[in-house]
Amino acid sequence: MSAFWKRFSRNRGAVLGLIILAVVIAIAIVAPILYPQSPWKMVQRPFLQPFTLPAFPLGTDTLGRDVASGLAHGARVSLLIGIVSTFVALLIGVPIGAIAGFAGGRIDDALMRLTELFQTVPNFALAIVLVAIFQPSLASIVMAIAVVSWPPVARLVRAEVLSLKTREFVDAARLAGLSGRAILMREVLPNALSPIIVMASLMVATAILVESSLSFLGLGDPNAMSWGFMIGAARTVIRNAWWLSFFPGLAILLTVLALNLIGEGLSDALNPRLAREGR
Amino acid sequence: MSAATSQTMERKSASAAGAPSPVLDVLALTIALPSAADREHAVRDVSFVLWPGEILCMVGESGSGKSMCANALMGLLPSSVRITSGRAMFDGQDLTQLSEAQWMGLRGARIAMIFQEPMTALNPLMRIGDQIAEVFEAHGRLTPSERRARILALIAEVGLPEPEKIARAYPFQLSGGQRQRAMIAMALALEPAILIADEPTTALDVTTQAQILRLIRDLQKRHGMAVLFITHDLGVVREIASRVIVMRHGTVVEQGAVTDVLERPQHPYTKALIAAMPSEVVASASGVKADPVLRVRDLRKTYRTGGGLFRPAREVKAIDGVSFEIARGEVLGLVGESGSGKSTVGRAIVRLIEADGGQIFVGGEDMSGLHSDALRRARHRVQMVFQDPYASLNPRRKVAGAIAAGPIARGTPPAKAMERALSVLETVGLDRAAGERYPHEFSGGQRQRIGIARVLALDPELIIADEAVSALDVSIQAQILDLLRDLRARLGLSLLFITHDLRVAAQLCDRVAVMQNGRIVEIGPAADIFLKPQHDYTKSLLAAVPGLAWREAAREPA
Repeated sequence: MSAFWKRFSRNRGAVLGLIILAVVIAIAIVAPILYPQSPWKMVQRPFLQPFTLPAFPLGTDTLGRDVASGLAHGARVSLLIGIVSTFVALLIGVPIGAIAGFAGGRIDDALMRLTELFQTVPNFALAIVLVAIFQPSLASIVMAIAVVSWPPVARLVRAEVLSLKTREFVDAARLAGLSGRAILMREVLPNALSPIIVMASLMVATAILVESSLSFLGLGDPNAMSWGFMIGAARTVIRNAWWLSFFPGLAILLTVLALNLIGEGLSDALNPRLAREGR
Repeated sequence: MSAATSQTMERKSASAAGAPSPVLDVLALTIALPSAADREHAVRDVSFVLWPGEILCMVGESGSGKSMCANALMGLLPSSVRITSGRAMFDGQDLTQLSEAQWMGLRGARIAMIFQEPMTALNPLMRIGDQIAEVFEAHGRLTPSERRARILALIAEVGLPEPEKIARAYPFQLSGGQRQRAMIAMALALEPAILIADEPTTALDVTTQAQILRLIRDLQKRHGMAVLFITHDLGVVREIASRVIVMRHGTVVEQGAVTDVLERPQHPYTKALIAAMPSEVVASASGVKADPVLRVRDLRKTYRTGGGLFRPAREVKAIDGVSFEIARGEVLGLVGESGSGKSTVGRAIVRLIEADGGQIFVGGEDMSGLHSDALRRARHRVQMVFQDPYASLNPRRKVAGAIAAGPIARGTPPAKAMERALSVLETVGLDRAAGERYPHEFSGGQRQRIGIARVLALDPELIIADEAVSALDVSIQAQILDLLRDLRARLGLSLLFITHDLRVAAQLCDRVAVMQNGRIVEIGPAADIFLKPQHDYTKSLLAAVPGLAWREAAREPA
């Protein structure tokens, strides 16, 4: 474990990403304490410039709602959707990829054609359709993002399983009389964990972007304040109230950047052989 | 230190006699490893000279620093290591001080190198002729038409048939030996003063190895090159070298003329290395009971590749009607070169691959007829020790857990299985504490012991060892063979020992079967096979074993 941290911390970008993400998570956790009122509540006059009133450091929006409060509560929604939808996508993708790779033959063909079916439909378009059909809510957004993002997971896991199952230790386990299930769960999948972890960290970033895009289009959960919604609501006034889209945009940028940096750091730390030089 | 003084003396006497100056003069070369490594220096205080027109062998086990030395002399050191002190004088310049631009002028032109694995050293997407042409292009030599003629001459010189055809071929269309010849043609293209050969025959079969060694020796004489030949095989040293350097843990332990070092070794390590070499003393067949533990009848396996609507599939008969028996308590060696089908036989017996036809009786039960659950329950009866000690253990599983997994799957209570796992670790000469560690904490030899322990935990009737010692250094190889011999005596194991190395087979096996192209061409008691071979193929295999004549000569007076 300490060796892992040593390799991870050698990548300065990854450490920076970890710090940014820690700050975002901390804000998400303390949001209800910092801003106990609903972020939807009108608290000041509309279009209050940022840095003018100390009580509202980031100003107010078109209806006089506190931008800082919106950002803090939006962090909860973004992180929650990012993490939960990634988890659900893994729950779909890992078993499908593992079974396809391990079983091979017709089962592999069937599962891979199913995966391709999902991959051929443009992700975002499918997500919009799903959310529109099921009514926008946190649950339907999570499901929509998970449904569009599992195919790459399945492909990755299948490729890993295909290469791992030809290893000699898998042959040895087979000779020892282990059942196929036991071999897959105990011998093969634990060795495929590193790339899955790396991919998951990048998927959280993508999920946050997709959620923001959906909210921007007005397909967010109407009861949850989110960064994408804030930008979407501010787009008509972008010329006279820049801060309304700038701060939520910056929040998305930093969070997604942080997750990407962490993903790269994890990739270096978990696959030390592949780590690039000069870092 | 004594090596360094003898070195200076050698140098003085040479200059006094007015002999030609050395083509390469390495003095106190020290290469530092990154701080996290298990030792401070890859190579420490290494000094040697390379005279024009000689073949100098650098011999050592893995981790001795011999390849690091070669890479330093080619300017190919990885960025994490650096040369901390010492000189390597060549052509009046110090190789340790060259810039990358200077290296580019030198590499290929004045110092050339050939590698162990010709498949990865050649560009798979480029024709052989174009790859040789690249050497000329890189150094701006010759016009395109001159190049063409020179390439064909080179291909012919390294003994490849039909130069025109070879020049147009891609690497995958050539055999291993042909690829190595193509590599040698590339290395010779610009008439280098030094050829560095890093284990160039290790990946090749014995008969091919013998041919490549002869080729290198001939070319070296014809071109008057100096050759620095790196190997782990003392037999190869004997075949090819005029002088030898023995390396261990990054330092030179002994150097001198081949006959001196091999016949009158001074350093204990050199003595141990020579003692660890498999000798041709054939193991005497021990008392074998009549009842067979394994009976294989007319085993067949054909691979079909390619083939489409308009093209017939290419068929390779990997196993072509193989039949043999192994008696209880017997060790049968299955010997052959790569592609002979010997590993396929092993894998077909344990049902890791499905044979097309034939029967496999283990203790009277036909294994080839079993399926799914019945097969899974019967599997423990035949177990396998694999070649690669690094690939055959799950890196994410503790050793004891890996050993106990089989017995637990058979219904042994976990606590009892774990206890048994620890006791078999002791049986193979490891600590009980080893069970709590992960495979990466062990050396190659220790991992192979773990692999054997895993097999023993299942109480098999027959063990198949598929090249089980081929990936190990000679001294470790000797220890594992000792262990197998000891286990066999104590536990009465029956063993099918698959190997490409006749010297290893000679030490352990009661009977030997020689395979070629999917068939057993000769089978009989080990002594008969090695001393009175009948089949031509067996004879040619025996003749190709490097350094054979030397050891026979050494054995006679004794």
